[in-house]
Amino acid sequence: MEIIALITGFSLILIGLYGILSKRNIIKIIVGFSLFDTGLHVLIVTVGYIKGGTAPILDSVVGTTDVASKIVDPVPQALVLTAIVIGLGVTALMLAYALKMYQAKKSLDISDFKDMKW
Amino acid sequence: MIRNFFIIAIVAGLAAIFVTLFWNFGDSTTLTPLATHYADKGAAEVGAPNLVTSIVVTYRGFDTLGEVTILFLVASIVSFFLKREKLQKDIELKRETSEIILTASKLLVPIVMVLGVYVFINGHLTPGGGFQGGAIIATAFVLLLMANPDFKINHRIISIVESVSGISFVLVGVFGILLAGGFLDNKVLPLGTFGKIFSAGAIPLIYSFVGLKVGSELSNILSNFQGIQKEEM
Amino acid sequence: MNLISPIYIVAVSLGIAFFMGLLGNKAQRSSYLILLAALLFNTFVSLQWVFGLGSGLVEAMQVYTAGFKPPFSINLLMGLNESVITALINIVGVLGAIYMMSSLKKNGTGSQVVFLILFMSLNVIVLSRDLFNIFVFLEVGSIALAGLIILQKGTNAISAGFKYMLATGIISGILLIGIIFIYRFTGSLNIDSIITANPILKQGAFVSAFLIIIAIVLELKSFPANGWGLDVYEASHPGIGAILSAASATATYFVLYKIVDIAGSQLNYYISIIGVISFVGSNLLALKQENSKRLLGYSSIGQIGLLMIILGFKDILGENTTYVAFGILVSHYLAKAGLFWLSGIVKQKNIKGWAVIRKKPYFLFLMGTFIFALIGFPPFPSFFAKWTLVMDLVNTGNISWVVAILFGSMMEAVYMIRWFGYAIKGENEDIKDFKIDIYKIIPVGIFAVALYVVGYFVAPHTEVGTAINFIPLYFVAAIFILDFLPVIIKNTLAIVGMILYFYNIYPDLDNMRLIFEAIFMVGGILTLIAGYAYKGKRPGFYPVALLMYAGLTAIIEAQTTLQFFFGWEVMTAGSYFLIIRGKRSMPHGLSYMLFSIGGAYALLTGLGMAHVGHASFSMEILNGISYLPYLAYGLLIVGFLSKTAALGLHIWLPGAHGEAESDVSPMVSAILLKAGVFGIVLTLIGMGASNNQYSELAYALGWLGAITALAGNLMAVFQEDAKRLLAYSSIGQLGYIVLGLAMMTHLGWLGGFSYVINHFLYKAVLFLTIGAVVMRVGTHNMYQMGGLIKRMPLAFIAVMIGIIALSGVPPLSGFAGKWLFYNAILEKGWYFQGAIMFFSGGIAFMYLWRLIHTVFLGQLKDNHRNVKEISIWFLIPIYTLLAGIMVYSMKPQWVLQPLGNMIAKWFPEGQLQWVGETAISQYGQWAGSLVAITIMGSFIIVLVLLMLSTRKAHKVKQFDITYSGERPERPETTHVAYNVFEGLYKAMWPATIPLVEAWWNKITEILHNIADVTRRIYSSNGQVYVAHIVLFIIVSYLVIIGG
Repeated sequence: MEIIALITGFSLILIGLYGILSKRNIIKIIVGFSLFDTGLHVLIVTVGYIKGGTAPILDSVVGTTDVASKIVDPVPQALVLTAIVIGLGVTALMLAYALKMYQAKKSLDISDFKDMKW
Repeated sequence: MIRNFFIIAIVAGLAAIFVTLFWNFGDSTTLTPLATHYADKGAAEVGAPNLVTSIVVTYRGFDTLGEVTILFLVASIVSFFLKREKLQKDIELKRETSEIILTASKLLVPIVMVLGVYVFINGHLTPGGGFQGGAIIATAFVLLLMANPDFKINHRIISIVESVSGISFVLVGVFGILLAGGFLDNKVLPLGTFGKIFSAGAIPLIYSFVGLKVGSELSNILSNFQGIQKEEM
Repeated sequence: MNLISPIYIVAVSLGIAFFMGLLGNKAQRSSYLILLAALLFNTFVSLQWVFGLGSGLVEAMQVYTAGFKPPFSINLLMGLNESVITALINIVGVLGAIYMMSSLKKNGTGSQVVFLILFMSLNVIVLSRDLFNIFVFLEVGSIALAGLIILQKGTNAISAGFKYMLATGIISGILLIGIIFIYRFTGSLNIDSIITANPILKQGAFVSAFLIIIAIVLELKSFPANGWGLDVYEASHPGIGAILSAASATATYFVLYKIVDIAGSQLNYYISIIGVISFVGSNLLALKQENSKRLLGYSSIGQIGLLMIILGFKDILGENTTYVAFGILVSHYLAKAGLFWLSGIVKQKNIKGWAVIRKKPYFLFLMGTFIFALIGFPPFPSFFAKWTLVMDLVNTGNISWVVAILFGSMMEAVYMIRWFGYAIKGENEDIKDFKIDIYKIIPVGIFAVALYVVGYFVAPHTEVGTAINFIPLYFVAAIFILDFLPVIIKNTLAIVGMILYFYNIYPDLDNMRLIFEAIFMVGGILTLIAGYAYKGKRPGFYPVALLMYAGLTAIIEAQTTLQFFFGWEVMTAGSYFLIIRGKRSMPHGLSYMLFSIGGAYALLTGLGMAHVGHASFSMEILNGISYLPYLAYGLLIVGFLSKTAALGLHIWLPGAHGEAESDVSPMVSAILLKAGVFGIVLTLIGMGASNNQYSELAYALGWLGAITALAGNLMAVFQEDAKRLLAYSSIGQLGYIVLGLAMMTHLGWLGGFSYVINHFLYKAVLFLTIGAVVMRVGTHNMYQMGGLIKRMPLAFIAVMIGIIALSGVPPLSGFAGKWLFYNAILEKGWYFQGAIMFFSGGIAFMYLWRLIHTVFLGQLKDNHRNVKEISIWFLIPIYTLLAGIMVYSMKPQWVLQPLGNMIAKWFPEGQLQWVGETAISQYGQWAGSLVAITIMGSFIIVLVLLMLSTRKAHKVKQFDITYSGERPERPETTHVAYNVFEGLYKAMWPATIPLVEAWWNKITEILHNIADVTRRIYSSNGQVYVAHIVLFIIVSYLVIIGG
């Protein structure tokens, strides 16, 4: 179970990185970033997985006694929430940048933005 | 070709680093001491059945403050970034919005909004919380915008909601220092009965503020993109 | 005592930020004031903690989220380090907001909100002890910065901002992977509990710790994965550059400091390696940089690299780590912010354009302060930090690190001083002037003053720094403040000050030091008298001249090596400013400074090696260095030789001395060069004097002296420029001194010291006289002069006596030196060196003859028909010095006997025997007075006879000659002095090829070419930058984990 999730997470990160490095279109680069982030989020959730654990909510199923043996780790789940929101913010700002860059040069090709050198 | 080869080499290099992490990952059958503490003491200390919520809002409330700040920050940046030399011409749309979306939006927007509010108010009991609820509320705005591209979100109201909920969040946090154990302590209000809607101290209150804030911030960002979209068409 | 909790920095900033969102965009004015109030509040909170914790009145404070103890909640720690760092950050916040007032108002409340949140987040990443929390607020900070970058209009800012987002996006992704996996492997996110758990036990945890640390290292824009950072520095508003460099980098550096131990101490060494690559690499690449903001970016990255080196060495530096890191950090912080702000006021992209501030002394003062603080001159904190760093590194055997660090510093000095040179001396006619906004100048001024204040308070914290005598520097500061007064007042003040100081200091000095102090101070006073000849205010002259003298006297008074080095650097700075005042001095000032700094670094390393094995820093440690003594003494000697302009290190001298102002040339020639001699004397005494344990070194030094003497004199012969002729002659004369001292015998030293005194006397006379003549005739070229004896007989007499003394023929004082020299050489058996000396002495006659013949004899030029005698203010010091020469010549035993007694302390063997006025050596005897009187008597008799016998001779007027009707194409070629040594040149030209200069030029060229080729990795393509970052991680991984 974890192995599949881990491989998925790492693969998504690497695919995202490949996209960031290989695509020249800024929008596609941003998509690459989203993939990268998603992979990260998968990893975070996987880290908290406990074999046989259930959601860390103390409802009628889990009860309030001996909780620790029944649930998965809640910490990564809290972290992933924050990570997702941060990723969202970054993506939104990158898109705003993409819009502005397009306005400036009527191009979304990243290799058109190489004015400052050395 | 060389470029591609190079890129693949770089990606493979990073993959090699990940392999170490992968091989050392191992099995986990028990919680970390940290998580065990939350599992065993969380109910008593914070009083919320949803442990993720108690971590997000209370134990690691400071992170949540950072998250809210990020959205607020992005909204502020996008507003002054995209607002420059805004043309605000109403341009003829190429075709009418489809009937399905129009009808669905009328039908769904109120329901989606209510769902969002439900999700953040019940954040300490069930899966969900301020961010999830706020995001749901923002989808209602997306739907509105799709149905009616000329739809103008009232910026004034949005920013008032955004600011007031933000200030209230910080104030509740500060009350935590003054009245309870520390910044963002939820025990400024009584913990109440475990599992009830008015319980877990200030968590429902905080999550409501967060939900309103996230919803209004996301809508704000969206509306700024909407503004520039008109410029481009 | 209850202080305001640091949590309120966060609460108040966020509350106000959210409130400002309410105000809407119309209220930028009032919201700007609210922003300032919030930033001031933050500053106040951190400053009260600085004072509370610094004075020990309060304990460090922990803030727990929701009252739960870590690791279960996020905790903030406010300790002394944190309070200082947050105070630094918040101060930049306030001043930065003032500086960016118009931009923040124009862009509305949104930009102000972003500004406030940025500073809030920087505070949190300093305070927080939770890894994930640090990640969150690092993200807040990067997003805020990405927002502020676009305050600057234009595509460049937008594309730089996007690249910044790409880069920080990847970096924070890597950081997050590290954090989440370290949670997996250690079960905690709290830094302290991770460190206690010691994650290196588990392989996976170590890799996670590596990823976290490497991500922070990349956030610090480590070379070479830093193109995105450079683009941001170049494209963004200068106010943002200041924030990035001073606040953001400071905070991130502190994060690295906090978390570095999560990998145990295993990564420390590699952090130092990355740091040194960054430091040397950035500074090297900056050599080719002409864009001022980008240049500052390179320099910032370099400085952070230096800080990383220090961090990596924290186990070795021990308790000095904080002191060293703080000294470097705070200097960089103040200077870099100041320079960035200044660049926004000056508004010149290209560094050459900075010539626009050439006539603005206060701007030059600001810029000079920042630049000298960056390259580590006293009295700035970086000086003391660098000193301690080098001492500790040498002490622990890390010499190669010292070499790398000093090489990087040297590169930084090159481009910084070059830039400063453009500002002081560049052409500024076509450059548009700028308008000065008061609110922009205030922060710059505050930071410049702060550098002095912090330096003053940092100095006593070194073990030996307390002893530094700041009195001369106070005097310099006072004169600087009084710079608006006319010359006559300032000159009098300066002279009176120096007299009083000398009067107070001389009883404390031993004989040897007294000789040098007298040359420095009496010489200084005499040359200052010439200053009365100048009209107006002569802005800037007096502070810098006195700065040089303050340094010189500090060298003499030094009880410790730190005081010595302090004085040495003060002297270097002062003399640089003096030299660069000359008309065409820009390149010469630069090369002077570079050789001086290079020499100073050799010196610093040598002093560090002397300290090994001793607890103290007393000057006594130069005696009998035990750690790599050959290298140590060699470095010291090379350091001092850079000041005496030994062959190979001499190329700065002719230009620097030749182009300097008329009364500055004698200061930097007759006086300043003796500082190097003083150092060599100290070193040779340290090498064991008569024991001469390191005779190979002394032997090499002797050869160097001999060859320098020959080369200096030879080059002097072919000069057309009178002042350059004198300058080259100085090189030769110093060669004699070095050779004499290197003999390590009584007679050798006696000869050397007699030359020291002599050279001071006659070189001051000659430079003053020729300088005064140049002031009258307006040219340095000898072939444009002639016949001036008729207009300036007093100057003629001065030069005549001067050159007779210099040439070393009886009856004047130079002969004493020559006589002692040949005795010493015969005694020592250095016949070949002696032959070279003899030969170069002959060459000296040729240029000396020329000096008097072509300037004063021959025909008077038409345009000089009405020139006046040189100024009385020059004649007074000249004739005072001439009196000195005459006394020395008539009664040489008055000088030589006490000298001999002094030298006998170190060299008791082989002293001169004195019988009355006659000196007797192994090889003969010499009765100085008798010889002088006899020869002068004969001269006067012959002169009188000649004058009597030629009374009836017909005087040939200038136009009593007939031309053959030809008109020469280049009239100067008909002057007798033009190319007069053509024949000699044909014989000797291979010796005159400026091989040394060519060699140094080649090195410079190679370095610049390396810089130019290497910096092409910064292709400005965002994807390439991302690739750099990932490659950096992979390579580091391979080196650290794989290797």
